[in-house]
Amino acid sequence: MPNDKKSQKIVDIIQNAARKHSLFVLAYGTGCGAIEIPPTMTSRYDAERFGIRGMATPRQADVLLVTGYLATKTLKRVIRAYEQMQDPKYVIGFGSCTINGGMYWDSYNTIKLLDKYIPVDVYINGCMPRPEAVIEGFIELQGLIKDGKANGATKYKENIDWYRANQKKVIKNWNMPDYNW
Amino acid sequence: MTEDKHIKEQKIVDQLSGTFQNLTGKVKRERRVEVSVEKKLIPSVLSYVKDQLTFTHMSHMSCVDWLEDEHFELVYILWSPELKVQLLVKTLINRENPVIENVDMIWGQLNTYQREIREMYGIQFTGLEGREEFVLEDWDEMPPMRRDFDTAEYIKDVFFERPGRDGAKDVREVIATRSGEEIPELAKKYSRD
Amino acid sequence: MDNSIWISILGFLATITLAFVVGVFYGGLVRKVTARIQNRVGPPFYQNFFDIVKLYSKTTAINHGWMQHLGPAFAITASVTSLMFIPILNGQGDMMWFENLNFKGDLIFLLYMMVFGSLGMALGAGQTGNPYSAIGVSRGLSQMVGYEIPWVLALVAIMMQAETTSITGLIDYQNANDTWMMFESPLAFIAGLLAMLGMFHYAPFDVPFAPAELASGPASEFGGKYLALMMTSGAIMAFVKLVLFVDIFMGGASNLVMLLVKTFLLYMVPVLYGVVSPRYRTEQSIRYFWGWPTAIGVLGVLYVVFIR
Repeated sequence: MPNDKKSQKIVDIIQNAARKHSLFVLAYGTGCGAIEIPPTMTSRYDAERFGIRGMATPRQADVLLVTGYLATKTLKRVIRAYEQMQDPKYVIGFGSCTINGGMYWDSYNTIKLLDKYIPVDVYINGCMPRPEAVIEGFIELQGLIKDGKANGATKYKENIDWYRANQKKVIKNWNMPDYNW
Repeated sequence: MTEDKHIKEQKIVDQLSGTFQNLTGKVKRERRVEVSVEKKLIPSVLSYVKDQLTFTHMSHMSCVDWLEDEHFELVYILWSPELKVQLLVKTLINRENPVIENVDMIWGQLNTYQREIREMYGIQFTGLEGREEFVLEDWDEMPPMRRDFDTAEYIKDVFFERPGRDGAKDVREVIATRSGEEIPELAKKYSRD
Repeated sequence: MDNSIWISILGFLATITLAFVVGVFYGGLVRKVTARIQNRVGPPFYQNFFDIVKLYSKTTAINHGWMQHLGPAFAITASVTSLMFIPILNGQGDMMWFENLNFKGDLIFLLYMMVFGSLGMALGAGQTGNPYSAIGVSRGLSQMVGYEIPWVLALVAIMMQAETTSITGLIDYQNANDTWMMFESPLAFIAGLLAMLGMFHYAPFDVPFAPAELASGPASEFGGKYLALMMTSGAIMAFVKLVLFVDIFMGGASNLVMLLVKTFLLYMVPVLYGVVSPRYRTEQSIRYFWGWPTAIGVLGVLYVVFIR
């Protein structure tokens, strides 16, 4: 009884509902997009209505918001923060720079496609996306979580070799600890 | 032509060319003076203008890569709060062996600028302290701000590109044809097409 | 088996459930109140339930040593044990369900028990090796040294006045004299109230957690289920502190509605004070507690000794 599929389904529904309504965002900003987060969180747009809340450490966060371009140097820190987060975890790519490099498409030190290095669940396009668009992106993510489709972390674990190879291609001196999730 | 108009600027140029040999200076416009010196004179010129000519504020230090003429040009931009004049001290360095004296004992902030230039252009400053690595991390290619560093090739090698940019035109070409200019041969060499 | 044991066990579970639900519900209300004061809509009042359920459903794969795993366990143990010794409702009525261990402990025991959780957390956070945790722990313990003094002085004053250290004895004293302790010895009440501001760690006394300064303070390395345990423990502990305060200063409560009204009004004191306050530095916080609250506490003791 405790392990049959029906009861697991009920547990999944409860868990997904709770996860959907409670998204702790890692308060970490890269590039210019970080400036759009304070208005999203404070009185004007008030993302806390949807249970979205800032958290200061990756250990407690669910959502990694990559707000803008990532220099290779920053990518290293982002990967490290991402791997320290506890499952289930989600990534939102924010702005054109994470999608195709944006205005940094010909920079020698900025990655162009974020989803080659860490799995991205939702992209928010725009340069920069306004707070309305950010909230729209979060709602999209909530929908994915509710349906159980936000499985970027699982994808990352299954294809870790492919992701590592891509990451090591950019980060030449790989001196990071291995996390056991 | 500007002598009667820019008296204090001309005075600075006269004073400098009277003190140092092989120094060419000119008044660019009001409150903007430009002097070019040999590279071995840079420490003495900088300390002279700081102590004697009240150029106490070090605004910026920059570098220009003159690939065609095969040298780098270092530019020290100074400001005198008393005279209200901006002074540009320029010097040329050989591109093959770019070495120059470190001058961060005159202005402390030059340490930062010089380290940045060392990393981005590969210019060596003798006696410059501080870590070799400044902004870039684990960079083992040619210094990226040199003009013969092929960024497009490097990006193709290292990064992924999302398809869809193929139709984008070379901006330089579009601008050149619009204004009826001709793109020099050298620039064409580094063109994307 | 004896029937009364089952009733005790059920009462024990009912008490924990009540404390958990009320504590978490108050936590949600605090977020709502804060949001309304900041002219926001704010999360729904049941938001904290979602947070806790979600955190319990997260994986926890962080290992820094066995003390780190024991820290949250210590915290929840201390909260639940303290809860067992607090009379939820007084004397008459449906007190049977919430009897627990009310008559076996007294205020002095509780003073130690309530500190135990913080010390356990301090040990656990200390082993994570995170510098923010270490700073948070040292700040938290320093601040505890600050607010414990007026708090103990307030308790000493009322214990001397009622000539008992038992909490039920204090409630009986208030009921027998048909008054509340906050009117009997107002100086002790004020000292206790000021110390309570520090106990709840709301601004300006959120020194140990210091958002935007210390990451999450002592809890920096705790995620997933451990954070959920700590949030549960915090909710129960908030309930314990409020009920204890209501019991010893406001004559206890004879039914659940009265209890909720009294605790809610009391809870709004640190919350509303906190919403409009910036944060103290550590030494400012300690200096604050060793200043007027301690002086008022001493006066309260002298008042009881010489005047009454």
